Amino acid sequence: MRDYHGIILAYSASPELRELVSARTTASLPFCGRYRVIDFSLSSLRNAGIFDVGVIMQKDYQSLLNHLGSGKPWDMSRRVGGLQILPPFGLPGNHSGQYSGTIEALNAVSAYIKDIPQNNIVLMNADICANIDIDAAIAQFEGSNEPVTAICAEYASVGPHNRYVLDEQGKAVKIIFDRESDDPDSLPSLGGYIIRKDVLLSYMDKCKASNVYRFHKDAISMYLNDGGKMNIYIHKGYSSTISSVEAYYRSNMDMLNPETRKTLFIPDRPVRTKCHEEVSTYYGENAVSRWSLVADNCIIEGEIENCVVFSGVRIAPGAKLKNCIVMHNCTIPEGCALDCVIVDKNVSFPEGTVLTGTPSLPVVVPKNFVI
Amino acid sequence: MAKKCIAMLLAGGQGSRLYALTQNVAKPNVPFGGKYRIIDFPLSNCANSGIDTVGVLTQYRPQRLNSYIGNGQPWDLDVADGGVYILPPYQSAGEKGSWFSGTANAIYQNMGFIESYNPENVLILSGDHIYKMDYAKMLKEHIEHDAACTISVLQVSMEEATRFGIMNVGEDGYVSEFEEKPAHPKSDLASMGIYIFNWQKLRSYLIADENDPNSSKDFGKNVIPAMLAAGEKLWPYRFEGYWRDVGTITSLWDANMDMLSTTLINLYDPSWPIGSRSPVYPPHYTGEDAKIVHSIVTEGCEIYGHVENSVLSPNVKVGKDSTVFYSVLMPGAVIEDGAVVEYAIIGENTVVKSGAHVGAPPDGTDAWGVATCGPDIEIRSGAQVPAAAMIYTGEEV
Repeated sequence: MRDYHGIILAYSASPELRELVSARTTASLPFCGRYRVIDFSLSSLRNAGIFDVGVIMQKDYQSLLNHLGSGKPWDMSRRVGGLQILPPFGLPGNHSGQYSGTIEALNAVSAYIKDIPQNNIVLMNADICANIDIDAAIAQFEGSNEPVTAICAEYASVGPHNRYVLDEQGKAVKIIFDRESDDPDSLPSLGGYIIRKDVLLSYMDKCKASNVYRFHKDAISMYLNDGGKMNIYIHKGYSSTISSVEAYYRSNMDMLNPETRKTLFIPDRPVRTKCHEEVSTYYGENAVSRWSLVADNCIIEGEIENCVVFSGVRIAPGAKLKNCIVMHNCTIPEGCALDCVIVDKNVSFPEGTVLTGTPSLPVVVPKNFVI
Repeated sequence: MAKKCIAMLLAGGQGSRLYALTQNVAKPNVPFGGKYRIIDFPLSNCANSGIDTVGVLTQYRPQRLNSYIGNGQPWDLDVADGGVYILPPYQSAGEKGSWFSGTANAIYQNMGFIESYNPENVLILSGDHIYKMDYAKMLKEHIEHDAACTISVLQVSMEEATRFGIMNVGEDGYVSEFEEKPAHPKSDLASMGIYIFNWQKLRSYLIADENDPNSSKDFGKNVIPAMLAAGEKLWPYRFEGYWRDVGTITSLWDANMDMLSTTLINLYDPSWPIGSRSPVYPPHYTGEDAKIVHSIVTEGCEIYGHVENSVLSPNVKVGKDSTVFYSVLMPGAVIEDGAVVEYAIIGENTVVKSGAHVGAPPDGTDAWGVATCGPDIEIRSGAQVPAAAMIYTGEEV
């Protein structure tokens, strides 16, 4: 057994995701035709041989629970350890029902963290799409002899993020908050950390004593101000933070580029997800499908271009979809013309529906919506 | 706890008429219909019919079949009181041990397994049929008619009847006569090779058959005729729907083509799921010049060429300017840029290099047939593989 325990933060949903997170958190948002966003952190951990993983959730987690099940798809259904679902426990009585920050979320499950048999924690954010080589990050963590390694990307994705300024040895000396774009003197954080358990617990306590809750603004700042050393692991390959409708849309569209897709779906580190019993997709006599990703169990008889299509979708002859994301079990009948539309699960359009959005402002049709 | 019915699935045959496709794997493990392997159909039928205990009799090249079946989880057959079991031939104390010498002998050798469940009835299945069937309905008729054996039968045309084992039915509705491939059939009810036996009856007939030195230890040839001769009640269960034996290259190709038509067999029906074990791949991708017409495509595929009337298994690559017509591409097959594949079956992980041409359209002659390439072959650039060719793994092409 490795001396590392995974903790995935799956309690949050950025309000910028609007209708997409009305009944789910970012973690269980469908992505790239067949995945959920949390699959990337679970698979990254699994592919590094970490089978003991706690998933912190707080509310709207029915969809996530349904997806995780016993953890079997990630080989995390174990006799001892394995996947642990961590809804809130031990919250103070006057709690508002919303974690004020990651430190509060961690403190809410502090009894669990104290009981972890391993000495190190791999902390992952469930709203990141990246296939991170945790094995390589651990090797660097062990080689550095520092109690904390932060996982950073080479390039920032859409939306605000935190950045680290490095010294000549490649150690973090300063954190900058809420940046929107790249700058050459710092690296964007992916919110992933490898951290010694005793160090994490001591900063959880310190924050609690000061009544502060935020991971980066409070705990990390405190740690760096205390003179704490932080090693940086740079993730190479695709990464994207699903922080808004625009980021969600753009990340899915990124997958239509075969070269980009190869850096997220790596044969040696497969992205695992819950399996459904499904049949292949059928293309009809007059179907057109170009620059598109299409999951199994679809019947495509119309035209799709630049689309991401999830399983169970029916596209009738004469329907035309461009630049769309169509989630599970949607039906697009004859005469529909959709451009830059995100269609959430189980939507059936009437014939002849025309909807047009733009890449920066895609139209979102909410789950189960009846027009 | 005694079981009402358990299933025994005969999966040991070599499938010699599939030639290169079964050179290294057993027939039930041959990929089928995009997402599946042949054995997925009987296993899923069992699970969907409420039969939770299945013995799979293996003999020929069982390694990959064994690992495919595993703990039975893809078919929900990983249950505590039952489940799916691989039953290879074995050696008993003091005996030399022997291979299964016939279908009846295979069951005879595994009587111990069956008795450990003490079932009232035993369902005998083949590992080379494509169909959706509710065995619970067949079992209901079997019990209602107090039959020693119920045989699933399919109505065929009188011309076809000469190729099957034919059941003649008496006025009382029970089977009165069984004829193997009759020249002048008296009935159009063909046996599908699916039987439900009362276990105690079957047990005594198996022992008698085993002791008969002249018997070929076969259900159709020996056990069923012996039961008829002894006056046992044999009930024909009339099955209506799609059923195909996929024992030959032509029938395997035909049945794959049938998967393109939901009116023949609807695999999109959520009430009767067919399970399969497959690694997770991303959704399939269609490139700029991809053209896919009347075909099925599975996850992990990347299509840049022209695909028509074809069945594509997981993780297949079809390159730019290539054409794939009326073909079956098994998992991991790669059709490189500018290659042509028509009226062909391409085995697992076989690569058809750029500019190669496999197969040809029917020319009306008897010599024509589907071109077949086994698994793990490289068809070199510019090679011509003619119609009806059979390319084995290890051959230089």
